[in-house]
Amino acid sequence: MMSLFRRWSFLLLLFIAVLSILAPFSLSVSPNQEVAPPFSTPLWLKRNLPPTMKITLSENILKKNIAWPYNPPTQIHLSGEITLSVPSALVLETPTQKFVLHHLTVGKNTFDIDGRDLSFKQRLNFSPFAQIPSELFSEKGEYIFRVEPDFSAPPEMRGTITFDIKGGRWGLLGTDQRGRDIFSLFIAGIRVSLIVGISATLLASLLGLFFGLISGYAGGWTDTIIMRGVDILLSIPILPILMVLAAYWGKGLWQLVLILSLFSWMGTARTVRAMTLSLRDSSYIEGLRGLGAPTFYILWRHLLPETLPLLLANIALGVPGAILAEAGISFLGLSDPRIISWGRMLHEAHSFGAFTRGAWWMLLPPGLGITLLCLIFLDLGKFLEEQIDPQLKGALKQ
Amino acid sequence: MIQIIDLSITYITPSKSVFAVNNASLSIPKGEIIGLVGESGSGKSSLLMAIPRLLPSNTEVSGAILLDDLDILSLKKDTLNTIRWKEIALIPQGAMNSFTPVLTIGKHIEEVLTFHMELPPHAIKQRCERVMKEAGLDASYLNRYPHELSGGQKQRAAIATALACNPTFLLADEPTTALDVITQREIVETLATLTKEKDMGLLFVTHDLPLAAQICDKIAVMHEGEIVEKGSPEEIVKNPHHEHTKQLVKALLHLEGEEI
Amino acid sequence: MTEMKSYWWRRIAGSLLVLFVVLILNFFLFRLMPGDPVATMLDPRFSPEAKAELSKLYGLDKPLSFQFLLYLKQMITFNFGYSFLTGRTVWEELATRLPNTITLLGSALLLSAFLGTWLGIQAALKRGKWIEKIVLWSGAVSFSFPSFFVQLLLLLIFAYAIPLFPLRGSVSVPPPIGFWAQLTDHIWHLILPVGSLVLLGFGGWALYVRNLMVKVLSEDFILMGEARGLPEKHIVWNHAFRTLLPPLLTIFLLSLPGIISGAVITETVFSLHGVGRFLLEAITGQDYPSAGASFYLLALLTIFCNLAADLLYGIVDPRVRFERRGR
Repeated sequence: MMSLFRRWSFLLLLFIAVLSILAPFSLSVSPNQEVAPPFSTPLWLKRNLPPTMKITLSENILKKNIAWPYNPPTQIHLSGEITLSVPSALVLETPTQKFVLHHLTVGKNTFDIDGRDLSFKQRLNFSPFAQIPSELFSEKGEYIFRVEPDFSAPPEMRGTITFDIKGGRWGLLGTDQRGRDIFSLFIAGIRVSLIVGISATLLASLLGLFFGLISGYAGGWTDTIIMRGVDILLSIPILPILMVLAAYWGKGLWQLVLILSLFSWMGTARTVRAMTLSLRDSSYIEGLRGLGAPTFYILWRHLLPETLPLLLANIALGVPGAILAEAGISFLGLSDPRIISWGRMLHEAHSFGAFTRGAWWMLLPPGLGITLLCLIFLDLGKFLEEQIDPQLKGALKQ
Repeated sequence: MIQIIDLSITYITPSKSVFAVNNASLSIPKGEIIGLVGESGSGKSSLLMAIPRLLPSNTEVSGAILLDDLDILSLKKDTLNTIRWKEIALIPQGAMNSFTPVLTIGKHIEEVLTFHMELPPHAIKQRCERVMKEAGLDASYLNRYPHELSGGQKQRAAIATALACNPTFLLADEPTTALDVITQREIVETLATLTKEKDMGLLFVTHDLPLAAQICDKIAVMHEGEIVEKGSPEEIVKNPHHEHTKQLVKALLHLEGEEI
Repeated sequence: MTEMKSYWWRRIAGSLLVLFVVLILNFFLFRLMPGDPVATMLDPRFSPEAKAELSKLYGLDKPLSFQFLLYLKQMITFNFGYSFLTGRTVWEELATRLPNTITLLGSALLLSAFLGTWLGIQAALKRGKWIEKIVLWSGAVSFSFPSFFVQLLLLLIFAYAIPLFPLRGSVSVPPPIGFWAQLTDHIWHLILPVGSLVLLGFGGWALYVRNLMVKVLSEDFILMGEARGLPEKHIVWNHAFRTLLPPLLTIFLLSLPGIISGAVITETVFSLHGVGRFLLEAITGQDYPSAGASFYLLALLTIFCNLAADLLYGIVDPRVRFERRGR
């Protein structure tokens, strides 16, 4: 047992699971919200692009310095709801110029200005076709954003003024085609992969265990019928049937789990059946039968525990398959668009032209996430198999 | 004549080295049947397999194995392959899967004939049929697959294959294990007859002393990697010198009731 | 040879049974859709008169059993009706796409198999060397990478960043003139898709073959081959590899159903003109006749490959012909 806890895959899985549970509480915004312009690159790339930022002035902080070694932003937005004691102006000082963005009166001021507003352009004496962000932020250097009183008296302000600057960079992993933070989406996507992967495999294993035990123990016609059923199910191409069922019988998560498990129990059934066959004729089972033990008792108390270790290994090894299947269905666009999953993220990356924009940061996180989860479960499965081996030999020796 | 001089075989495993044979010396003259008798683990199979150099790669062999003037242990692989089967042919253990399951018996015999001898096709066919007959199998078995043959039939097929290239020496490693008693005797008698007819040398390895005594001209007793006694069958049974030989004979007489 | 014939007949009977079940499944699948069952067969945009006509034609006013027999007849004669999306017969649509899908799958499978088999054998022969390490590693890991992820990455690197290959399509638009130019164009469009499938597939092959080969090489009859003075190469190929052939051939044919799923994804990623992508388009576009027909075709392909695997196995491994009933 101890060796399990020290295994990298187990620790990593634990970390990932905890992350996905805590995530909704630690993320300040819902992953579905737009936070920055679409296809923003991650912060640590393309340093000449400006990051999307928000500058606020409030209460006593009436001046903020903005270091600006970047290219001009794509959009700006000014908004505020304040009460002011003296008439002032909202000013942006560039290294060489000074722009009065908005006049503020005494008392209540509420404004909401977009950089594309024609009146705004006119007020700043720009042509209607001018690109305000480029004009305002034409140079690199130190900028100052402040409330400048018309006269010398220091203004008193209540409320906040927000200067939204939309740039080309955002966050750890950038944004997708809807401007959503990819890092948040990535964390949110863990749940679907884990939940679908594990529950589908659990259900499939239970089905497989059930049919395998019965088939192996009962033999005769029951066995033949069940095995024929297995053959038939195995002859149906898996992705097409998943596609049809997922598209038409519900795009929900639990429908997907059900459908996945209906078509993946066959392998486990065969293995369990083989094991049951070999154990059934062993002397101690025969002894139990001779003593008059009922079938159910034999199955539940004796055969089941023998097959359990094998089942656990099968489960661990089967999870990657379920994860990949869910990802595949989502990638094809056949999943619920409201549910965030890694496969869905890749679908959107593909359909909305992520790589025609070169936005590889949309591709890498979900893809690597899926791969990592699969590798983790494969390693866990290998670990469990190694545990079984001595046990398996022991069980068959009887 | 095959001469084994001071042969030592050590198996090297990651944890330790195990010696299987310790300074064994033995001669196998042409025309004679030499028995090598011992219990499991005595090293007799290792000794036999050392002759055509068929030991696994993690073994160390020291000493000399001479085929007339040729030192087998120092031969290059190509030359060794010309000696194998043409001069020295192996008849494997009765329990072994000595035939490739997807090829017919006939294919196996044809193969060795093609590689070791230059024969036209119809001569190959003739030879196949002949060796089968000599081994006591009907020629129709040439078209059968190994799994279609019984244990005894498989051994006869193995003998037929071994005879194909007219070898000078036969090495039989427990050829009758896993066979019933009657088949055992038949196989052993076939081997003895063939050996004498063709003037071959036969090394007959077995744990079964009475079986060896039946056909061998000389018997060597092996115990824990060493050859502890050599002599004719009568000498071994009537006058055992070494402690282990005495035990073997005692067990034998116990079964048989009195001296052979 | 009679045991061979009975083996064959038993296998064929089994496949026919499976086919029958698939047909039933297909029949009910598209008729039990939530909503108006008639909508699955008649384009909702048709006029009421046209619908009435087609209703009679499809026997929608007749009992279910009659419809089923009609359906069976249609499936067997490959008469799939008309596509809702394009208006052409479904068969026409499939006929232009089927060759592309088969080319994609066939070449990917063959290349993976050859490359994987060769690598696996080399890994088994040269144990402990670097080639075995590559095989062991790629075999374990390649299964975990989602195929579409790898394919999207390849597109990003080799079609976008370094524009070596086309971003989409089976052929260039407009297509070049002349047989050889068209052939080259076709191959150029297939390199990334087939390449990605081989990259994803060879690892599993190589690992499997390596494991089998290691096992076979430790068998007694290989040692006997050495004892018989046969050259090493002959033993490897005519004895070891020959013994591998039955399970290898079976796996080859059995992996085809799996790779059919791969076709759907690959064709979607690379926008290829194939049956897989047609299935997806039909499903999302609610073109039920096309969806049903595509599914049927893919299921047929799967059953055929399973049958071929069984039959071929019977030829290649003589031990199997003698199996008794009720393993």
